[in-house]
Amino acid sequence: MSRNLKLFIMVLPTIVLLVIFTYIPIGQEIQIAFENYNLYNLSNIYFNGFDNFINIFTSVDFNFVQIVLNTVIWVVVSLVFQFTLGFGLALLLKKPFKGRGIYSGLVFYPWAVSGFAIGLVWAWIFNGQFGLINGILMRFGIINQGIGFLSDPHIALASVIVVNIWYGIPFFAIMLLAALQSVPEELYEAAKIDGAGRFRRLVNVTIPYIRPTIASTILLRTMWILNFPDIIYAMTNGGPANSTNTLANYMIIKMYSFYNYGQAAAIGFIIMSILMIYAVIYLSIFSRLERGVI
Amino acid sequence: MKKLKIFIESVLKFMALGGYLIFALIPLYWVLVTSFKGPKELYTFPITFFPKSLDFENYRFLFTFANFGIYFRNSLLVSLGSSLGALIVSVLSGYGLSRLSSKKLSNGILLAMYLTQMIPGFLLMLPLFLMLSKFGMINNLFVLGIIYIDMVIAFGTIMSKGFFDRIPVSLEEAALIDGCGTLEVLYRIVLPISLPAIMAIFSFFFVNIWNELFLAVMFLSSNDKMTVPAALNSFISKAGISWGVMSAGLVVALLPTIIVFAFAQKYIIAGLTEGAVKE
Repeated sequence: MSRNLKLFIMVLPTIVLLVIFTYIPIGQEIQIAFENYNLYNLSNIYFNGFDNFINIFTSVDFNFVQIVLNTVIWVVVSLVFQFTLGFGLALLLKKPFKGRGIYSGLVFYPWAVSGFAIGLVWAWIFNGQFGLINGILMRFGIINQGIGFLSDPHIALASVIVVNIWYGIPFFAIMLLAALQSVPEELYEAAKIDGAGRFRRLVNVTIPYIRPTIASTILLRTMWILNFPDIIYAMTNGGPANSTNTLANYMIIKMYSFYNYGQAAAIGFIIMSILMIYAVIYLSIFSRLERGVI
Repeated sequence: MKKLKIFIESVLKFMALGGYLIFALIPLYWVLVTSFKGPKELYTFPITFFPKSLDFENYRFLFTFANFGIYFRNSLLVSLGSSLGALIVSVLSGYGLSRLSSKKLSNGILLAMYLTQMIPGFLLMLPLFLMLSKFGMINNLFVLGIIYIDMVIAFGTIMSKGFFDRIPVSLEEAALIDGCGTLEVLYRIVLPISLPAIMAIFSFFFVNIWNELFLAVMFLSSNDKMTVPAALNSFISKAGISWGVMSAGLVVALLPTIIVFAFAQKYIIAGLTEGAVKE
């Protein structure tokens, strides 16, 4: 047997697994999106054209426009703060100091915890009666009645976004810290001689140098946050009054609570389409980046 | 003047570092405190910021009435088993792809793996559930473990291929000429120098699988099969589960991955940032 054939056989288990458990299911997912498929009525599965999509777009209980808006706010606001705070942390950690290793362990650990479990912890922290935040605010006399962080539709989305920011800071800090450490010290020396202050050095030296890392982490993370229902599912499950529902969480609701698999698959199809468009944009931006155009 | 400026700067830096630290540790502090509060103290008003006395009642309840020992064992079994299985499969394919002489073929396969990275697990659970229930293969930890392997191997392959690419082939050529087989070369020469990468990949797998919720909820229906996240999910709607017991369960859910992170931090960070930074 040739060495190349042996090497190919080593790759085969992965290919087989991915075909059976990823590629074939994607195909089925698309098929189900165009079917009337309800767990309560399994004897009556049939092709129903665009009915699932029409039902989703016209639903009164789950206003689709609101869900899309929530998703956009969820992604953009989380991303902006995750990035800025993560970048700030990376800058603080760039120069070595005593205990930096232990310190970074203590601030980076959120990367490793379950989004669902930590979402539940934060739901308890945000609890309208016995939560930590209300407790502190009352102790200092700032308020005298508990705020319903997760039960007030006006602030529930902001509350879950705070938790998502908390969850995402370490990723950016870790990636950007590594990038910062790759900036050659000579560049700073040269800028110093030219009389550039700290801020000018950041804008004119650091950021241009690590631009590829900035772009790739932001692009990757956008996709990732879009696909991340765990925190919302744990804290509000889209409520109150649909105010924190995003596309990803909406799909879970259709599956877990309504057993309407056809509509769930249709939402999945919408998410997949967004991802596909996004991937094309991502790749074109990335190839420009490689060529140094951006 | 200059001294004052440096002093102010270091105070500001210290405060910023402190702010990040407090923000990061708040949930850990609060879940621990809550888990040690007795039922009375839990719902007193105003709330207490530290338990009056360490009360282990929540943990006792968790591991007796709530059967958390079983869930913990299930989670540990699935996470370790799947991570190990996925590690073997993805090291093999990563090495295969790295050494295949046809770059066209290996790049094509690699692209197919990158594509799967775009698809989140919860998107696949519906077709997987329907497919496997036809064969009566749901509510089965072993089957769930296989799906978890599938979920992580593309990433593992991409990562291990990246690592193997940087090991010079000349190291292996001598052994190949001496008549060593392909697997033997991988096992005797390549793997021993790849331990950091293997540690990183294994930690990634363990963390991801231990934390997985949605597939576990969908696939595991009977009580004795549930993993820790699935059990916690069932707590939400269960009457008689106080926030104290819930918090104890959350501590049990959070600690293992935090411990893994603490020990493998160096490797995980090296693995995460690998390729993200241009040299």
